[in-house]
Amino acid sequence: MGILHRQRWCGATGLLVPLLTLASPGFLKIAGIAPSWAVLWLLPWALVDGPASGAVAGLALGLVLDGLHLGRASEVPVLVLLGWWWGRIGRRGAPIERSFSLGLLALVGTALLGASLLLQLHWQGGLPLPVAGWHTLMAQTLITALLAPLVCSLLLLRWRQVASLRG
Amino acid sequence: MTGRFSRVPTLQKIAEAWPWWLLLLALVGVRLSKGAFFADGYALLSRPFWPGSAQSEWLRSAQLLSDKAQLADLERDNSRLRQMLQLQRSSAGLVSAAVIARQPSGWWQQLELGKGALDGLSPGDAVLAPGGLIGRLESVTPTTARVTLLTDASSRLGVWVGRTRQHALLVGLGTPRPRLQFLEKDPGVRPGDVVSTSPASTLLPPNIPVGVVQSVNEQAVPAPDALVQLSAPVDAVDWVQVRTR
Repeated sequence: MGILHRQRWCGATGLLVPLLTLASPGFLKIAGIAPSWAVLWLLPWALVDGPASGAVAGLALGLVLDGLHLGRASEVPVLVLLGWWWGRIGRRGAPIERSFSLGLLALVGTALLGASLLLQLHWQGGLPLPVAGWHTLMAQTLITALLAPLVCSLLLLRWRQVASLRG
Repeated sequence: MTGRFSRVPTLQKIAEAWPWWLLLLALVGVRLSKGAFFADGYALLSRPFWPGSAQSEWLRSAQLLSDKAQLADLERDNSRLRQMLQLQRSSAGLVSAAVIARQPSGWWQQLELGKGALDGLSPGDAVLAPGGLIGRLESVTPTTARVTLLTDASSRLGVWVGRTRQHALLVGLGTPRPRLQFLEKDPGVRPGDVVSTSPASTLLPPNIPVGVVQSVNEQAVPAPDALVQLSAPVDAVDWVQVRTR
């Protein structure tokens, strides 16, 4: 485990995820689809704080977001997986700093999250795949990947500073 | 002799009085045309004093008022008759609620309302917006309520088409336009038909407009289906009314 989760204020920023999901500001939308704020917050958190903390943060975010949504489709499995995966990437090799890498990681993460939701909604008998699902998947992946270099790099810088000061 | 003849006007004198003849002719013309010249002249002169647009607005508002009163009467009558038929047992109330968060598109189509169980809302209540029904309450907290919009993929609603008197199932697709699934092979529905909640419904208030049939797919199996354009603008609505039970 890293040390970021011991800093109360860093963890509290996670509260912004459900609030932003509810508010879904209109100017940050593509074709009416908002970005995945969970991915934008979880990516820098896991990169700085390691796989175990990333997985726990993914679980917590997933549980909160599932409570805010209709139906039984869950974001928990993919968010836990992403937290763990990004934590491992952050621990091994050179630290990720380039905007392109952040954007790419966010793109893959959002695509995985969207695909899991699409399949769950489809299996539950609701969403017909070709009609609405692809549109939401593509739009959300695109806007999240575009926002990731802006949002994630700021959080990453700040949290790396905190981690190096405390660690 | 010459004196007697001199009293009778000569042809020349008659000809000299031509302006009077013309006047007479004009008056005959007025008589034959039922006073056309005078009526037109009067209209032209009095035009500035005609009743203006204000008058027509008064008339329209009076008409609106009488329509409203008539509608309220009919509604009261209708609910009384329904109670006699025991279709709708409890009296319904309307609670206005602000929309505090909205997700009209994306994975889920939902709204959050700023009123909840403390104001008497309960899951399953119908949510109305200007224009018609937009969804039903999925869950409530003490001060908020979550609405499943009719466009959500989990939304299923029994409706009917008033013109053909046929029941159908309105199924959300996750797109702005839900699909109408008919139960019969030949529904006889065409684009432009109004879809409303079923008059036999006990879950929802009856005869609330839902939308308009936009296109009909006759080739669908086992029964034709249609796409419905909802009549209430879900993207723009800021206040809704919840019909409590």
